[in-house]
Amino acid sequence: MGHAVTEQAGSGGLTATEHRLDNGLRLVLSEDHLNPVAAVCLWYDVGSRHEVRGRTGLAHLFEHLMFQGSAQVKGNGHFELIQGAGGSLNGTTSFERTNYFETMPAHQLELALWLEADRMGSLLAALDEESLQNQRDVVKNERRQRYDNIPYGTAFERMTALAYPEGHPYHHIPIGSMADLDAVTLDDARAFFRANYAPDNAVLAVVGDIDPGQVRRWAEKYFGSIPSYDGKVPPRDGTLPDIIGAELRVEIREEVPARALMAAYRLPRDGTRDCDAAELALTVLGDGVASRLYSRLVRRDRTAVTTGVGLLRLAGAPSLGWLDVKASGSAQIPQIEAAVDEELARLRAEAPGAEEMERAQALVEREWLDRLATVAGRADELCRYAVLFGDPQLAFTAVNRVLDITAEEVRAVAAARLRPDNRAVLAYEPVTAKDTVGPVSDRASGADKGDKRDGAGQ
Amino acid sequence: MTDAAVTMDFHPRPAPGSARPWAFPVPERGALASGLTVLRCHRPGQQVASVQICLDMPLDAEPGGLDGVAAIMMSALAEGTSEHTAEEFAAEMERCGATLDATADYPGARVSLEVPVSRLAKALGLLTEALRTPAFPGSEIERLVRNRLDVIPLEMASPGRRAAKQLAQELFPASARLSRPRGGTEDTVPRIDEAAVRAFYQAHVRPATATAVVVGDLSGIDLDAVLASTLGGWTGDAAEPVPIPSAAADDTGRVVIVDRPGAVQTQLLIGRTGPDRHDPVWPALVLGTYCLGGTLTSRLDRVLREEKGYTYGIRAAQRVLRSPAPRTAGQAMGLSVLAISGSVDTASTGPALDDVWKVLRTLAAEGLTEAERDTAVQNLVGVAPLEYERAASVARTLADQVEQHLPDEYQAQLYAHLAETGTAEATAAVIAAFPENRLVTILVGDASHVEAPVKALGIGNVEVVTA
Repeated sequence: MGHAVTEQAGSGGLTATEHRLDNGLRLVLSEDHLNPVAAVCLWYDVGSRHEVRGRTGLAHLFEHLMFQGSAQVKGNGHFELIQGAGGSLNGTTSFERTNYFETMPAHQLELALWLEADRMGSLLAALDEESLQNQRDVVKNERRQRYDNIPYGTAFERMTALAYPEGHPYHHIPIGSMADLDAVTLDDARAFFRANYAPDNAVLAVVGDIDPGQVRRWAEKYFGSIPSYDGKVPPRDGTLPDIIGAELRVEIREEVPARALMAAYRLPRDGTRDCDAAELALTVLGDGVASRLYSRLVRRDRTAVTTGVGLLRLAGAPSLGWLDVKASGSAQIPQIEAAVDEELARLRAEAPGAEEMERAQALVEREWLDRLATVAGRADELCRYAVLFGDPQLAFTAVNRVLDITAEEVRAVAAARLRPDNRAVLAYEPVTAKDTVGPVSDRASGADKGDKRDGAGQ
Repeated sequence: MTDAAVTMDFHPRPAPGSARPWAFPVPERGALASGLTVLRCHRPGQQVASVQICLDMPLDAEPGGLDGVAAIMMSALAEGTSEHTAEEFAAEMERCGATLDATADYPGARVSLEVPVSRLAKALGLLTEALRTPAFPGSEIERLVRNRLDVIPLEMASPGRRAAKQLAQELFPASARLSRPRGGTEDTVPRIDEAAVRAFYQAHVRPATATAVVVGDLSGIDLDAVLASTLGGWTGDAAEPVPIPSAAADDTGRVVIVDRPGAVQTQLLIGRTGPDRHDPVWPALVLGTYCLGGTLTSRLDRVLREEKGYTYGIRAAQRVLRSPAPRTAGQAMGLSVLAISGSVDTASTGPALDDVWKVLRTLAAEGLTEAERDTAVQNLVGVAPLEYERAASVARTLADQVEQHLPDEYQAQLYAHLAETGTAEATAAVIAAFPENRLVTILVGDASHVEAPVKALGIGNVEVVTA
């Protein structure tokens, strides 16, 4: 165990301490005794950006294999033991990290630590071909269910592939392609584990009704003997120009229920003041029923049935922000696009007024309060700031940084980034089944609107 | 495996410490002079408050031919008031950092407000305006009607939504409101106008038949004063409860395939009706259904996912459709829908359904094991403090109890009842809930691939309908 730092945090009096085991495992502890619950969250610094050509989807498929047993845990024992102890659990894979989490009744916390340590230290003792084949099929069905078998399901995948060029580590989304999933071998999985699943590549956060001294002793007992690994291959460099340089555009003729216009923009990296300004710009533009796009397209022009925005914060490459408009009735894409462009031009030219800033900041603040309202939410944010920015304490002050952004900064980031030469556009035109070329499965490897923060769950 | 090279020190699995007691919060019940019932619950540390307004307005209250008027009326509450235009109202609410959601469901209607406690008073003032003096501008009603008509095809493109619509249509006679979508159809929605919305509001929205649930960290708030100056200003007359006609469900075992040529997966929805939560069998049903399909290690997923890889996950669950106060003269019995749902790749549709039926037959023949029951109880009871950290989750459960005419202590008692329910009771309940020859199976998928293998299973007549 290493040094401990205590700091009064900015938001709601929450605090955390940091420690490091000799093998490099970082530990973040935060006490909250209001409810008899404790959250365990383990972030491994590995995501889909670490995958290589021909092996997209490996990080996520591997996440599934982490639930298939380890030296002392048979089969689905991880799930069975946690749930049998009254806990809940899951894992998710994103571009820049893979996380595993258990929320437990506080008196069952030690079990979760024991289970996480067992698979971190001994997964390969149990990993076998049968598990790989089975979870490969499960993940392929996850892909079908979440992307390929729903309308507009591959839009996010398509926009990502356009905004990050071929060969870039963020060109593909975490679910991967069917062909690459088919190609994964047991040796790939073993090598992936050895390279990435080591204590010095992870942050463990424990939050809730805990005795920090006891948790440190448990962490030392269960994780302390797991050897560190110095052979990790860093991800390929994600550096890209701030601006795509020209509008990229794909017209998609698919069996979807309505015309749709989506556009993704490269935005400033996570962890920067500009990224917070970009979040507010997107909120002004498209979050909520008083946002500019909703007011314009749904209320006044009545050309849209829904409007939305999304933000994928990324630390190792430009972030991605997107707009999503589903057309109403007979409204045409050019009509909608002209209105969207007018709204974007206005945001680039004039700083939002005080009331609009108040609205955007209040919405973002509520989202933060909601995220920090549970011990699991707090544990995840502490891990995020520890893994991506080296300082978990930043989690407690994140909302203050967003509230500190000025209207002029929002305008400036819009002017710099929300421009036609920095976007990848998808224009959907519905066709009926008989008009489509080829079977649906042949069209499925393109792209979607995924979840803002996570690539996939167990 | 020889290459494992495990070098860590192993320790025996730790035993649990001693549990700190936790109980689902019982709210403080009161009423305002207007007749509005108020349930409040202080949750320390919860900075985002949740307010739920339950209106005793089941969809059975909708006039014939006007399916969807309840949903449009609820949405229209926030589209302008005596003091604010629709756009002003939306902006004021969002400047509180609030989200406002108004929905109409079979058992009742609900307005949900989530807002930081620091701005609760202002948001409650706006919410009161929406309930008390909605303007229902004709142009906004017209917009909501058009929007609803646009949303219907978007919803029906979702395999899960399409399956649910078909199951309701199969289970209930066309005359029953339960057989038809909550938000109305392409036929009924265009008939909804300003006059219909106003009439429906006048008939069904009043404090005397409404309940406000307020949950959050209320330590810095004089809630009585806040309520007096906000919701206290909403007044109205008394009203009788809406009569609920009975609806017989047809659970003759059969299969309906909603054809989606080219679909790479088949959405499964296998269901029938069951009791509501007033029925004493409910805890045993919850327990047995969890063992069948509550999680990844339940019987269905153990085979269909973790052995066969046919699916990302199959779940069994129950959802209450109507729950009138028990033993009220003239009221129908409560109802829930019991269902197994999930999606499987197209080629595995026949084998997956075959496995579902094998799981059900094995369950019927052999029952649940003691260990299965114990794990289920430990999970269902043990996760309660985790599930109810957020104010919103407490508020929604309290509001569900109100809407379903259950006592305030219901959820707290449910945990005690679950803990007392034995393996035999849970077994009997789940077998009775999912009899293999009384299940209506909806498949949304490519009929050209799935019809023949499904017919071969002999689980009932197979009909194909167009999407």
